[in-house]
Amino acid sequence: MSHETFELMDRLRRDGSRAAMATLVRTAGTTPRKEGTKMFVGDGGSIFGSVTIGGCVDARVIEHSGEVLKASSPRLLSLQLGDEEAWEIGLSCGGAVDVLVEPLTEPTVQLYAIARSEWQAGRSVGLATVIAGDEVGAHLLIDADGKVRGSARAELAETLAREVPRMLGSSATSRTMTYGSSDVYIEILRAPATLVVFGAGAVAIPLVAFATALGFQTVVVDGRPRFASRDRFPDAGEIRVGIPSAVAEELKLGRTTPVVLLAHDYKIDLPVLKRALAGDAPYIGLLGSRRRGAAILQMLREDGVPEAQLDRVRVPVGLDLGGETAAEIALSIVAEIVAVMHGRNGAALGGKRP
Amino acid sequence: MGHGPAGSSVTTFANEMNPYGETIQEHFRHPRNYGSLDEPDIRHEDVNPFCGDRVRIEVSLAPDETVREARFEGDLCMIAKAAGSLLTEMITGLPVERIGEFGERDVIEALHAEIGPARRKCATLPLEVLQAGVNAWRQGRSA
Repeated sequence: MSHETFELMDRLRRDGSRAAMATLVRTAGTTPRKEGTKMFVGDGGSIFGSVTIGGCVDARVIEHSGEVLKASSPRLLSLQLGDEEAWEIGLSCGGAVDVLVEPLTEPTVQLYAIARSEWQAGRSVGLATVIAGDEVGAHLLIDADGKVRGSARAELAETLAREVPRMLGSSATSRTMTYGSSDVYIEILRAPATLVVFGAGAVAIPLVAFATALGFQTVVVDGRPRFASRDRFPDAGEIRVGIPSAVAEELKLGRTTPVVLLAHDYKIDLPVLKRALAGDAPYIGLLGSRRRGAAILQMLREDGVPEAQLDRVRVPVGLDLGGETAAEIALSIVAEIVAVMHGRNGAALGGKRP
Repeated sequence: MGHGPAGSSVTTFANEMNPYGETIQEHFRHPRNYGSLDEPDIRHEDVNPFCGDRVRIEVSLAPDETVREARFEGDLCMIAKAAGSLLTEMITGLPVERIGEFGERDVIEALHAEIGPARRKCATLPLEVLQAGVNAWRQGRSA
Protein backbone atom coordinates (compact mmCIF):
# COMPACT_ATOMS: atom_id res chain seq x y z
CA MET A 1 0.00 0.00 0.00
CA SER A 2 1.24 3.43 -0.75
CA HIS A 3 0.00 6.99 -1.04
CA GLU A 4 -1.23 5.95 -4.49
CA THR A 5 -3.96 3.90 -2.82
CA PHE A 6 -5.26 6.93 -1.00
CA GLU A 7 -5.24 9.01 -4.15
CA LEU A 8 -7.18 6.33 -6.00
CA MET A 9 -9.71 6.22 -3.16
CA ASP A 10 -10.08 10.00 -3.36
CA ARG A 11 -10.84 9.73 -7.06
CA LEU A 12 -13.31 6.96 -6.34
CA ARG A 13 -15.05 9.11 -3.73
CA ARG A 14 -15.38 11.93 -6.25
CA ASP A 15 -16.74 9.43 -8.75
CA GLY A 16 -19.39 8.50 -6.20
CA SER A 17 -19.98 4.96 -7.38
CA ARG A 18 -20.10 1.70 -5.44
CA ALA A 19 -16.86 -0.10 -6.15
CA ALA A 20 -14.83 -3.25 -5.88
CA MET A 21 -11.26 -3.09 -4.62
CA ALA A 22 -8.75 -5.45 -6.21
CA THR A 23 -5.45 -5.98 -4.39
CA LEU A 24 -2.41 -7.86 -5.64
CA VAL A 25 -1.79 -10.08 -2.60
CA ARG A 26 0.70 -12.67 -3.84
CA THR A 27 3.16 -12.85 -6.72
CA ALA A 28 5.35 -15.61 -8.18
CA GLY A 29 7.90 -15.35 -10.97
CA THR A 30 8.28 -12.16 -12.96
CA THR A 31 5.49 -9.69 -12.32
CA PRO A 32 5.34 -6.05 -13.34
CA ARG A 33 3.93 -4.80 -10.06
CA LYS A 34 4.43 -5.66 -6.42
CA GLU A 35 2.14 -6.88 -3.65
CA GLY A 36 -0.20 -4.18 -2.43
CA THR A 37 -0.92 -2.69 -5.84
CA LYS A 38 -4.59 -1.84 -6.16
CA MET A 39 -7.28 -1.27 -8.72
CA PHE A 40 -10.76 0.07 -8.03
CA VAL A 41 -13.63 -0.79 -10.33
CA GLY A 42 -16.83 1.22 -9.95
CA ASP A 43 -20.23 -0.25 -10.75
CA GLY A 44 -20.78 2.67 -13.09
CA GLY A 45 -17.83 1.60 -15.25
CA SER A 46 -15.07 3.74 -13.77
CA ILE A 47 -11.63 2.17 -13.33
CA PHE A 48 -8.84 3.61 -11.17
CA GLY A 49 -5.39 2.04 -10.96
CA SER A 50 -4.30 -1.38 -12.19
CA VAL A 51 -2.91 -4.57 -10.71
CA THR A 52 -0.61 -5.17 -13.67
CA ILE A 53 0.59 -2.79 -16.33
CA GLY A 54 -2.14 -3.67 -18.74
CA GLY A 55 -3.03 -6.86 -20.53
CA CYS A 56 -5.52 -9.58 -19.92
CA VAL A 57 -5.11 -9.88 -16.14
CA ASP A 58 -6.53 -6.43 -15.53
CA ALA A 59 -9.33 -7.24 -17.91
CA ARG A 60 -10.20 -10.39 -15.97
CA VAL A 61 -10.11 -8.53 -12.67
CA ILE A 62 -12.49 -5.95 -14.08
CA GLU A 63 -14.77 -8.74 -15.24
CA HIS A 64 -14.76 -10.41 -11.81
CA SER A 65 -15.31 -7.09 -10.05
CA GLY A 66 -18.80 -6.83 -11.47
CA GLU A 67 -19.64 -10.28 -10.13
CA VAL A 68 -18.13 -9.49 -6.72
CA LEU A 69 -20.25 -6.37 -6.45
CA LYS A 70 -23.35 -8.28 -7.47
CA ALA A 71 -22.70 -11.03 -4.90
CA SER A 72 -21.38 -8.61 -2.25
CA SER A 73 -18.71 -11.11 -1.26
CA PRO A 74 -14.94 -11.19 -1.80
CA ARG A 75 -13.18 -13.48 -4.24
CA LEU A 76 -9.54 -14.56 -4.51
CA LEU A 77 -8.37 -14.91 -8.11
CA SER A 78 -5.25 -16.88 -9.09
CA LEU A 79 -4.13 -15.72 -12.51
CA GLN A 80 -1.27 -16.56 -14.84
CA LEU A 81 0.38 -13.41 -16.03
CA GLY A 82 0.63 -13.03 -19.79
CA ASP A 83 0.73 -16.77 -20.52
CA GLU A 84 -0.75 -16.43 -23.95
CA GLU A 85 1.43 -13.50 -24.90
CA ALA A 86 4.51 -15.20 -23.46
CA TRP A 87 3.83 -18.23 -25.64
CA GLU A 88 3.10 -16.13 -28.69
CA ILE A 89 6.38 -14.22 -28.48
CA GLY A 90 8.36 -17.35 -27.73
CA LEU A 91 8.79 -17.18 -23.96
CA SER A 92 8.05 -20.11 -21.69
CA CYS A 93 5.89 -18.44 -19.09
CA GLY A 94 5.16 -15.17 -17.28
CA GLY A 95 4.59 -14.90 -13.55
CA ALA A 96 1.51 -15.70 -11.51
CA VAL A 97 -0.49 -13.45 -9.24
CA ASP A 98 -3.22 -13.78 -6.64
CA VAL A 99 -5.65 -10.91 -6.62
CA LEU A 100 -8.24 -10.38 -3.91
CA VAL A 101 -11.34 -8.66 -5.26
CA GLU A 102 -13.73 -7.42 -2.59
CA PRO A 103 -16.62 -5.01 -2.35
CA LEU A 104 -15.39 -1.76 -0.87
CA THR A 105 -17.55 -1.36 2.22
CA GLU A 106 -17.88 1.65 4.48
CA PRO A 107 -16.03 0.01 7.42
CA THR A 108 -13.14 -0.78 5.06
CA VAL A 109 -13.09 2.79 3.76
CA GLN A 110 -12.98 4.02 7.36
CA LEU A 111 -10.06 1.75 8.21
CA TYR A 112 -8.15 3.13 5.23
CA ALA A 113 -8.98 6.66 6.36
CA ILE A 114 -7.46 5.89 9.76
CA ALA A 115 -4.44 4.31 8.05
CA ARG A 116 -4.06 7.47 6.00
CA SER A 117 -4.17 9.78 8.99
CA GLU A 118 -1.61 7.63 10.81
CA TRP A 119 0.62 7.70 7.71
CA GLN A 120 0.26 11.45 7.36
CA ALA A 121 1.23 11.80 11.01
CA GLY A 122 4.43 9.93 10.24
CA ARG A 123 3.45 6.58 11.80
CA SER A 124 3.74 3.17 10.12
CA VAL A 125 0.78 0.78 10.19
CA GLY A 126 -0.17 -2.66 8.87
CA LEU A 127 -3.54 -3.46 7.31
CA ALA A 128 -4.41 -7.16 7.54
CA THR A 129 -6.98 -8.73 5.21
CA VAL A 130 -8.11 -12.34 5.45
CA ILE A 131 -7.91 -13.67 1.89
CA ALA A 132 -8.53 -17.40 2.39
CA GLY A 133 -9.87 -19.73 5.10
CA ASP A 134 -12.08 -18.45 7.87
CA GLU A 135 -13.48 -14.90 7.81
CA VAL A 136 -12.45 -14.04 4.26
CA GLY A 137 -12.71 -10.28 3.74
CA ALA A 138 -12.15 -9.34 7.41
CA HIS A 139 -9.88 -6.31 7.84
CA LEU A 140 -7.77 -5.28 10.80
CA LEU A 141 -5.56 -2.22 11.16
CA ILE A 142 -2.59 -2.64 13.48
CA ASP A 143 -0.18 0.07 14.55
CA ALA A 144 3.40 -0.17 15.76
CA ASP A 145 2.24 -0.41 19.39
CA GLY A 146 0.03 -3.40 18.62
CA LYS A 147 -3.23 -1.47 18.82
CA VAL A 148 -5.83 -3.28 16.68
CA ARG A 149 -8.79 -1.66 14.95
CA GLY A 150 -11.47 -3.53 12.99
CA SER A 151 -13.16 -6.81 13.72
CA ALA A 152 -12.00 -10.41 13.45
CA ARG A 153 -11.85 -13.34 15.81
CA ALA A 154 -9.90 -12.65 18.99
CA GLU A 155 -7.24 -15.27 18.38
CA LEU A 156 -6.30 -13.78 15.00
CA ALA A 157 -6.38 -10.22 16.36
CA GLU A 158 -4.04 -11.20 19.19
CA THR A 159 -1.64 -12.91 16.79
CA LEU A 160 -1.55 -9.90 14.50
CA ALA A 161 -1.11 -7.52 17.43
CA ARG A 162 2.15 -9.36 18.09
CA GLU A 163 3.31 -10.01 14.51
CA VAL A 164 2.59 -6.74 12.74
CA PRO A 165 4.56 -4.48 15.12
CA ARG A 166 7.49 -6.86 14.59
CA MET A 167 7.14 -6.44 10.81
CA LEU A 168 6.87 -2.67 11.16
CA GLY A 169 10.04 -2.61 13.22
CA SER A 170 11.98 -4.53 10.56
CA SER A 171 12.42 -4.03 6.83
CA ALA A 172 9.56 -6.46 6.09
CA THR A 173 7.42 -5.72 3.07
CA SER A 174 3.76 -6.47 2.39
CA ARG A 175 3.12 -10.22 2.22
CA THR A 176 0.64 -13.03 2.74
CA MET A 177 1.02 -15.09 5.93
CA THR A 178 -0.86 -18.13 7.23
CA TYR A 179 -2.19 -17.98 10.78
CA GLY A 180 -4.11 -21.09 11.85
CA SER A 181 -6.92 -21.62 9.39
CA SER A 182 -6.58 -18.22 7.67
CA ASP A 183 -4.35 -16.80 4.97
CA VAL A 184 -3.85 -13.15 5.83
CA TYR A 185 -2.45 -10.54 3.51
CA ILE A 186 -0.62 -7.86 5.51
CA GLU A 187 -0.11 -4.55 3.79
CA ILE A 188 2.69 -2.54 5.29
CA LEU A 189 2.31 1.20 5.06
CA ARG A 190 5.56 2.83 6.01
CA ALA A 191 5.68 6.35 7.33
CA PRO A 192 6.43 8.58 4.35
CA ALA A 193 9.88 9.95 3.72
CA THR A 194 10.16 13.69 4.24
CA LEU A 195 12.10 15.60 1.62
CA VAL A 196 13.75 18.63 3.16
CA VAL A 197 14.66 21.34 0.67
CA PHE A 198 16.95 24.17 1.72
CA GLY A 199 16.59 27.12 -0.62
CA ALA A 200 13.20 28.17 -1.98
CA GLY A 201 14.37 29.24 -5.44
CA ALA A 202 13.07 28.34 -8.88
CA VAL A 203 14.17 24.67 -8.87
CA ALA A 204 12.60 24.06 -5.47
CA ILE A 205 9.10 24.79 -6.79
CA PRO A 206 8.84 21.89 -9.26
CA LEU A 207 10.94 19.69 -6.97
CA VAL A 208 8.40 20.00 -4.17
CA ALA A 209 5.51 19.47 -6.59
CA PHE A 210 7.11 16.32 -8.03
CA ALA A 211 8.03 14.98 -4.59
CA THR A 212 4.50 15.53 -3.32
CA ALA A 213 3.06 13.62 -6.27
CA LEU A 214 5.45 10.77 -5.43
CA GLY A 215 4.18 10.55 -1.86
CA PHE A 216 6.93 12.40 -0.04
CA GLN A 217 6.11 14.79 2.71
CA THR A 218 8.00 18.00 2.08
CA VAL A 219 9.59 20.77 4.08
CA VAL A 220 10.88 23.94 2.43
CA VAL A 221 13.42 26.03 4.34
CA ASP A 222 14.62 29.53 3.52
CA GLY A 223 15.50 32.65 5.43
CA ARG A 224 13.47 34.81 3.09
CA PRO A 225 9.70 34.88 3.60
CA ARG A 226 9.25 36.30 0.13
CA PHE A 227 10.70 33.10 -1.33
CA ALA A 228 9.46 30.52 1.16
CA SER A 229 5.80 31.39 0.79
CA ARG A 230 2.59 29.38 0.45
CA ASP A 231 1.93 31.14 -2.86
CA ARG A 232 5.10 29.68 -4.31
CA PHE A 233 4.77 26.28 -2.61
CA PRO A 234 1.09 25.38 -2.42
CA ASP A 235 1.90 21.66 -2.14
CA ALA A 236 4.58 21.88 0.55
CA GLY A 237 3.76 20.07 3.76
CA GLU A 238 5.65 22.62 5.79
CA ILE A 239 7.35 25.93 5.07
CA ARG A 240 9.99 27.06 7.53
CA VAL A 241 11.31 30.61 7.44
CA GLY A 242 14.33 31.02 9.65
CA ILE A 243 18.07 30.58 9.89
CA PRO A 244 18.47 27.50 7.67
CA SER A 245 21.15 25.77 9.75
CA ALA A 246 19.12 26.37 12.93
CA VAL A 247 16.08 24.88 11.22
CA ALA A 248 18.22 21.92 10.10
CA GLU A 249 19.14 21.34 13.73
CA GLU A 250 15.50 21.38 14.79
CA LEU A 251 14.38 19.03 12.00
CA LYS A 252 16.69 16.18 13.09
CA LEU A 253 17.61 14.94 9.63
CA GLY A 254 17.45 11.15 9.87
CA ARG A 255 17.02 7.94 7.88
CA THR A 256 13.71 8.98 6.34
CA THR A 257 14.64 12.54 5.44
CA PRO A 258 16.43 13.00 2.12
CA VAL A 259 17.96 16.46 1.97
CA VAL A 260 18.49 18.75 -1.01
CA LEU A 261 20.43 21.99 -0.81
CA LEU A 262 19.36 24.42 -3.52
CA ALA A 263 20.44 27.70 -1.95
CA HIS A 264 23.62 27.78 -4.05
CA ASP A 265 25.10 30.01 -1.38
CA TYR A 266 28.06 28.91 0.70
CA LYS A 267 26.88 30.73 3.80
CA ILE A 268 23.88 28.40 3.86
CA ASP A 269 25.35 25.31 2.20
CA LEU A 270 28.25 24.97 4.62
CA PRO A 271 26.42 25.04 7.96
CA VAL A 272 23.45 23.07 6.65
CA LEU A 273 25.70 20.39 5.12
CA LYS A 274 27.56 20.09 8.40
CA ARG A 275 24.36 19.46 10.24
CA ALA A 276 22.97 17.09 7.60
CA LEU A 277 26.19 15.06 7.58
CA ALA A 278 26.05 14.71 11.36
CA GLY A 279 22.78 12.77 10.94
CA ASP A 280 21.99 9.77 8.78
CA ALA A 281 19.94 11.26 5.97
CA PRO A 282 19.74 8.69 3.13
CA TYR A 283 20.37 11.31 0.47
CA ILE A 284 22.19 14.64 0.58
CA GLY A 285 22.26 16.54 -2.72
CA LEU A 286 23.99 19.85 -3.31
CA LEU A 287 23.19 22.12 -6.24
CA GLY A 288 26.29 23.35 -8.01
CA SER A 289 29.05 22.47 -10.42
CA ARG A 290 31.80 19.93 -9.68
CA ARG A 291 34.18 22.83 -9.11
CA ARG A 292 31.93 24.55 -6.63
CA GLY A 293 31.12 21.26 -4.95
CA ALA A 294 34.82 20.46 -4.57
CA ALA A 295 35.41 23.86 -2.96
CA ILE A 296 32.53 23.42 -0.51
CA LEU A 297 33.70 19.92 0.40
CA GLN A 298 37.24 21.17 0.86
CA MET A 299 36.01 23.78 3.34
CA LEU A 300 34.14 21.10 5.26
CA ARG A 301 37.25 18.91 5.17
CA GLU A 302 39.32 21.73 6.62
CA ASP A 303 36.65 22.10 9.26
CA GLY A 304 37.21 18.49 10.35
CA VAL A 305 34.35 16.68 8.62
CA PRO A 306 35.57 13.10 7.96
CA GLU A 307 36.12 11.95 4.38
CA ALA A 308 33.57 9.15 4.70
CA GLN A 309 30.91 11.74 5.51
CA LEU A 310 31.91 13.98 2.61
CA ASP A 311 31.45 11.04 0.23
CA ARG A 312 27.75 11.13 1.03
CA VAL A 313 27.26 14.51 -0.64
CA ARG A 314 25.92 14.21 -4.17
CA VAL A 315 27.27 17.14 -6.16
CA PRO A 316 26.37 17.97 -8.86
CA VAL A 317 22.95 16.89 -7.69
CA GLY A 318 20.64 14.73 -9.81
CA LEU A 319 20.78 12.17 -12.60
CA ASP A 320 22.29 12.99 -15.97
CA LEU A 321 19.09 13.71 -17.90
CA GLY A 322 20.55 16.57 -19.88
CA GLY A 323 17.84 19.08 -19.02
CA GLU A 324 18.40 22.74 -18.23
CA THR A 325 15.07 24.18 -17.11
CA ALA A 326 14.07 24.37 -13.45
CA ALA A 327 11.55 21.57 -13.94
CA GLU A 328 14.08 19.38 -15.77
CA ILE A 329 16.66 19.89 -13.03
CA ALA A 330 14.01 19.13 -10.40
CA LEU A 331 13.09 15.96 -12.27
CA SER A 332 16.70 14.81 -12.34
CA ILE A 333 16.97 15.43 -8.58
CA VAL A 334 13.77 13.68 -7.61
CA ALA A 335 14.63 10.77 -9.92
CA GLU A 336 17.98 10.37 -8.18
CA ILE A 337 16.28 10.48 -4.78
CA VAL A 338 13.82 7.77 -5.80
CA ALA A 339 16.67 5.61 -7.12
CA VAL A 340 18.68 6.03 -3.93
CA MET A 341 15.68 5.32 -1.70
CA HIS A 342 15.16 2.07 -3.65
CA GLY A 343 18.85 1.18 -3.57
CA ARG A 344 19.28 1.62 -7.33
CA ASN A 345 21.73 3.64 -9.38
CA GLY A 346 19.26 5.28 -11.73
CA ALA A 347 20.75 3.84 -14.92
CA ALA A 348 18.59 3.17 -17.98
CA LEU A 349 16.79 -0.19 -17.62
CA GLY A 350 17.57 -1.02 -21.24
CA GLY A 351 21.22 -0.28 -20.70
CA LYS A 352 21.36 1.63 -24.00
CA ARG A 353 23.25 4.84 -24.62
CA PRO A 354 22.26 7.62 -27.02
CA MET B 1 23.50 16.85 -15.38
CA GLY B 2 26.02 19.44 -14.37
CA HIS B 3 23.73 22.32 -13.46
CA GLY B 4 26.69 24.65 -13.75
CA PRO B 5 30.07 24.91 -15.41
CA ALA B 6 32.21 21.81 -15.08
CA GLY B 7 35.78 21.88 -13.82
CA SER B 8 38.10 20.04 -11.51
CA SER B 9 40.35 22.53 -9.76
CA VAL B 10 39.66 23.20 -6.10
CA THR B 11 39.67 26.78 -4.92
CA THR B 12 38.52 27.59 -1.43
CA PHE B 13 38.19 30.74 0.56
CA ALA B 14 41.18 29.48 2.49
CA ASN B 15 43.57 29.80 -0.41
CA GLU B 16 41.78 32.41 -2.49
CA MET B 17 43.10 35.97 -2.20
CA ASN B 18 41.13 37.69 0.54
CA PRO B 19 39.60 40.89 -0.88
CA TYR B 20 38.32 42.18 2.47
CA GLY B 21 41.39 42.43 4.69
CA GLU B 22 42.58 40.80 7.86
CA THR B 23 39.89 42.02 10.27
CA ILE B 24 37.00 40.63 8.28
CA GLN B 25 38.80 37.36 7.64
CA GLU B 26 39.71 36.95 11.31
CA HIS B 27 36.18 37.67 12.57
CA PHE B 28 34.64 35.47 9.87
CA ARG B 29 36.86 32.55 10.74
CA HIS B 30 36.71 33.07 14.50
CA PRO B 31 33.52 34.98 15.22
CA ARG B 32 33.23 36.38 18.71
CA ASN B 33 29.98 36.05 20.66
CA TYR B 34 28.52 33.60 18.16
CA GLY B 35 25.60 31.63 19.58
CA SER B 36 22.62 32.30 21.79
CA LEU B 37 21.72 33.26 25.37
CA ASP B 38 19.39 31.35 27.68
CA GLU B 39 17.18 34.24 28.75
CA PRO B 40 18.02 37.36 26.77
CA ASP B 41 16.30 40.65 27.50
CA ILE B 42 16.47 41.59 23.82
CA ARG B 43 16.05 39.12 21.01
CA HIS B 44 15.50 40.05 17.41
CA GLU B 45 15.89 38.33 14.05
CA ASP B 46 15.62 39.56 10.48
CA VAL B 47 16.77 38.88 6.98
CA ASN B 48 18.20 40.61 3.97
CA PRO B 49 15.30 39.77 1.68
CA PHE B 50 17.48 39.62 -1.40
CA CYS B 51 20.56 37.61 -0.50
CA GLY B 52 19.08 35.60 2.38
CA ASP B 53 21.51 36.69 5.09
CA ARG B 54 19.51 36.09 8.24
CA VAL B 55 20.73 37.04 11.69
CA ARG B 56 19.43 36.73 15.23
CA ILE B 57 20.84 39.04 17.88
CA GLU B 58 20.39 38.48 21.61
CA VAL B 59 21.35 40.80 24.43
CA SER B 60 21.16 40.44 28.18
CA LEU B 61 21.26 43.56 30.32
CA ALA B 62 22.72 44.26 33.73
CA PRO B 63 20.44 45.93 36.34
CA ASP B 64 21.86 49.32 35.33
CA GLU B 65 20.84 48.60 31.71
CA THR B 66 24.29 48.18 30.36
CA VAL B 67 24.89 45.32 27.94
CA ARG B 68 26.08 42.36 30.02
CA GLU B 69 26.27 39.90 27.14
CA ALA B 70 25.52 39.96 23.43
CA ARG B 71 25.28 37.05 21.03
CA PHE B 72 24.56 36.71 17.34
CA GLU B 73 23.72 33.71 15.17
CA GLY B 74 22.92 33.21 11.51
CA ASP B 75 23.90 31.76 8.15
CA LEU B 76 25.84 34.80 7.06
CA CYS B 77 28.26 35.90 4.40
CA MET B 78 31.80 36.86 5.32
CA ILE B 79 31.09 40.57 5.80
CA ALA B 80 27.84 40.11 7.73
CA LYS B 81 29.38 37.54 10.06
CA ALA B 82 32.41 39.72 10.74
CA ALA B 83 30.10 42.70 11.34
CA GLY B 84 28.02 40.69 13.82
CA SER B 85 31.15 39.62 15.63
CA LEU B 86 32.58 43.13 15.85
CA LEU B 87 29.27 44.74 16.76
CA THR B 88 28.64 42.42 19.69
CA GLU B 89 32.13 43.18 20.95
CA MET B 90 31.59 46.92 20.54
CA ILE B 91 28.33 47.07 22.52
CA THR B 92 29.28 44.83 25.43
CA GLY B 93 29.50 46.96 28.56
CA LEU B 94 27.79 49.98 26.97
CA PRO B 95 24.49 51.46 28.20
CA VAL B 96 21.71 50.07 26.02
CA GLU B 97 20.63 53.59 25.12
CA ARG B 98 23.96 54.15 23.37
CA ILE B 99 23.15 51.43 20.80
CA GLY B 100 20.91 53.85 18.95
CA GLU B 101 23.87 56.13 18.35
CA PHE B 102 25.72 53.60 16.22
CA GLY B 103 25.58 54.09 12.49
CA GLU B 104 26.82 52.56 9.25
CA ARG B 105 30.11 54.43 9.50
CA ASP B 106 30.93 52.86 12.88
CA VAL B 107 30.49 49.37 11.52
CA ILE B 108 32.42 50.02 8.32
CA GLU B 109 35.27 51.56 10.28
CA ALA B 110 35.40 48.57 12.61
CA LEU B 111 35.63 46.23 9.62
CA HIS B 112 38.77 48.03 8.41
CA ALA B 113 37.90 47.49 4.76
CA GLU B 114 36.50 49.16 1.72
CA ILE B 115 32.91 47.98 1.47
CA GLY B 116 31.29 48.84 -1.85
CA PRO B 117 27.67 49.99 -2.08
CA ALA B 118 26.51 46.54 -3.15
CA ARG B 119 27.75 45.00 0.11
CA ARG B 120 26.87 47.81 2.54
CA LYS B 121 23.70 45.97 3.51
CA CYS B 122 25.78 42.94 4.51
CA ALA B 123 27.82 45.13 6.85
CA THR B 124 24.87 46.92 8.41
CA LEU B 125 22.37 44.07 8.73
CA PRO B 126 23.46 43.04 12.27
CA LEU B 127 23.30 46.66 13.45
CA GLU B 128 19.86 47.18 11.93
CA VAL B 129 18.58 44.01 13.56
CA LEU B 130 20.10 44.98 16.91
CA GLN B 131 18.60 48.46 16.83
CA ALA B 132 15.20 47.07 15.85
CA GLY B 133 15.48 44.70 18.81
CA VAL B 134 16.33 47.54 21.18
CA ASN B 135 13.38 49.56 19.90
CA ALA B 136 11.03 46.60 20.41
CA TRP B 137 12.42 46.10 23.92
CA ARG B 138 11.92 49.77 24.73
CA GLN B 139 8.34 49.71 23.43
CA GLY B 140 7.61 46.54 25.35
CA ARG B 141 8.88 48.10 28.52
CA SER B 142 6.79 51.24 28.14
CA ALA B 143 3.61 49.37 27.17
